[in-house]
Amino acid sequence: MVEQIVFILVSLFTLITAVVVVTNRNLFHAALALMASFLGVAGLYVLLDAGFLAAAQLLVYIGAISILIIFAIMLTRRLMHALESPFNSQWGLGAFTAVVAFAVMAGVIAQFWPVTPDSVTPLASRPEVSASILRGSVAELGRALVSSDAYVIPFEIASVLLLAALIGAIVVAWPKAEDE
Amino acid sequence: MPEVTIDWYVALSVILFSIGALGVLLRRNAIILFMSIEMMLNAANLAFVAFARHLGDLDGQVLVFFVITVAAAEVAVGLVLIVTIFRTKKSINIDEIHLMKG
Amino acid sequence: MEFQVPSLNLLIVLPVLIVTGWGMLLMLAEFFIPEEKKSWAPWLTMLGLVLALIQTIGLWGYNGGTFTPKGGAPMVVVDNFATFLNIIFLLTGILTVLISIHYLRRTGLDRPEYYMLLLFSVSGMMLMGMANDLILVFLALELLSIPLYILSGFAWPRPDSEESAMKYFLLGAFSSSIFVFGIALTYGSTGTTSLPLVLERISDAGMLGLVATAMLIVGFAFKVAAAPFHMWTPDVYEGAPTTVTAFMSVGAKVGGFAAMLRVFVAALPQLGEAWVPAVAGVATLTLIVGNVVAIVQPNIKRMLAYSSIAHAGYIMIAVAASVNSPDGVSAALFYMLAYLFTNLGAFAVVIALEHKQGEGVMLDDYKGLGKRRPWLALAMAYFMLSLTGVPPTGGFSGKFYVFRAAIEADLLWLAIVGVITSVISGYYYLRVVYLMYMYDGEGEVVANRALVWTVGLTALATLVLGLLPGPWFDMARDAALQTVQMVAGG
Repeated sequence: MVEQIVFILVSLFTLITAVVVVTNRNLFHAALALMASFLGVAGLYVLLDAGFLAAAQLLVYIGAISILIIFAIMLTRRLMHALESPFNSQWGLGAFTAVVAFAVMAGVIAQFWPVTPDSVTPLASRPEVSASILRGSVAELGRALVSSDAYVIPFEIASVLLLAALIGAIVVAWPKAEDE
Repeated sequence: MPEVTIDWYVALSVILFSIGALGVLLRRNAIILFMSIEMMLNAANLAFVAFARHLGDLDGQVLVFFVITVAAAEVAVGLVLIVTIFRTKKSINIDEIHLMKG
Repeated sequence: MEFQVPSLNLLIVLPVLIVTGWGMLLMLAEFFIPEEKKSWAPWLTMLGLVLALIQTIGLWGYNGGTFTPKGGAPMVVVDNFATFLNIIFLLTGILTVLISIHYLRRTGLDRPEYYMLLLFSVSGMMLMGMANDLILVFLALELLSIPLYILSGFAWPRPDSEESAMKYFLLGAFSSSIFVFGIALTYGSTGTTSLPLVLERISDAGMLGLVATAMLIVGFAFKVAAAPFHMWTPDVYEGAPTTVTAFMSVGAKVGGFAAMLRVFVAALPQLGEAWVPAVAGVATLTLIVGNVVAIVQPNIKRMLAYSSIAHAGYIMIAVAASVNSPDGVSAALFYMLAYLFTNLGAFAVVIALEHKQGEGVMLDDYKGLGKRRPWLALAMAYFMLSLTGVPPTGGFSGKFYVFRAAIEADLLWLAIVGVITSVISGYYYLRVVYLMYMYDGEGEVVANRALVWTVGLTALATLVLGLLPGPWFDMARDAALQTVQMVAGG
């Protein structure tokens, strides 16, 4: 019972703040709502026994990404006072596309809804595995990331990716030679 | 009250993803668009973690790390582009960039 | 299984290691080489790419993988499919360096970072063809794209270049998040992201597997610029520096198709009934939009952007045919090889006429080129014929194989759409030829030696692929069959 109530509260929090992000006219408020939404997702990770990811979510998404976004907002802050329509000129088409896409996906979800633990669905057909595999799994995660029989190659590519992004960001942000 | 199952999480992640997609398609401010994209990535991460929990294996959680890394790389590149374009144009509204027009 | 693939075989991924390592080397070298000798960067880049190319050619015929998880399939595979594509990517890189050298100098964009980002992007492309795991496909896609976002904006503070980068970035990031959600759903419905395991389990995945497939299609369609996900293409191609446009019109597109073929043909053939009509539909729309809208473009970069959309449509025909025809994949591979030479050649001519950044790129600037620079005009005319698909050109051979594969796969109607749109495309391609020979005009042409070499080599390659397509198509066939066999067997 407690689990359900906590799930519903946390997911409502996540969704409501997400809606605020896409509807709010004030950029700064939207960014704060985004942080709250990230926080909600971190809460869901805790409910899913992924404590370490919840911590990573707090550090990276809230600690780094949101702060960078707020930096960007402050660097471009004149816009906050601009009196423009918040929606783009093709909002009708956009809304239509998004609603149709949502309806399709909702229809798919409805295929295996309502769900009881023994209803036959592609997801429920697999046995639940004891949570002990997932609890206290930080060491396992760490090993998986650097083992040659696990995820070392994606790990290395991700590091090259970060390097490329850093070089790129510096190239664009650095003043050109003639400006110096 | 029924048990909280994987499907609740998947449904939640689909709704979150759709809200993000709606934001990308409807809004005109580049930073809001960017935030919506981050939200969509978060929805994907949530789905990964939920599926990992359900399948009882760690792979899903490992994959989330890579998505987070990519999100971090995108944020660096994206925000520097947004700030640069603002320096030149004094606007980051995408209608002036004609995002959806060919 | 008796034959054990060694868990780590770095030799087979050496080409990628060389390319990424070279990017980092370039970064370090920048500190040690004095300012006045900055012209080293392109030649050093070229050296790295050529070394990687030699390594890659040496791997032709190799079939295996490395980085194998316990009880799983290798994450990185090197088979002829990957090797064939890697040759395309490395050639794209080499030719891009050749056309960039002088262009960057005269437009004031000559900075070593350009070449570093180019190398990183090439390594991402190479990994697209070698990735045997969806998460690796995703990371490779990002490694391909992120440098390209920056390169499109490399001409900052020019507003059109910045806007192009921004637009490319926002839509690219949007499409990757759709793609990654598709991966999440695939993982949820099959419990794995490894392509051979997905192949085994996808038929039990039900509706969730189909939604995942649809999202993967959308993700790829954005990357290869297929309609209705093409809207970023014209502005990005027009705004980006022309050399970058040339690079991404070939590299990013072929990269997208590399992973698309591997994922759809090797891992999802059982869902073919669902995705073949979808891909065929996208191909039809792409062909019509690309070819019809190209007609009204006054700017050659925009025209070539729509033309590249249309060519994505032709490759999509081959993708749709690849489940039911043994030659589908090889037709796609051959088409991409021909497209590489033709399109880069055409862009090299565009660069020769673009004497200042953003000037000399209107169709009217091509008036009288036949008299001013007869050889350049002849090459351009030949590239235009090849893009239209008139024999004897590589473009014709490519279209021939693609349409034949479509007919073999019972997609006759798609082949007919392809032929009709090719005829339409003749209008705008041949208009360039008409302008070059039937009018008088004057305009500056800057053709330095590297550029002339590029034009000559690409024209020669297009001619060879047009006159003697057989051996090259056999190569593509070797490359295609082994993908399917390898995965089906493993």
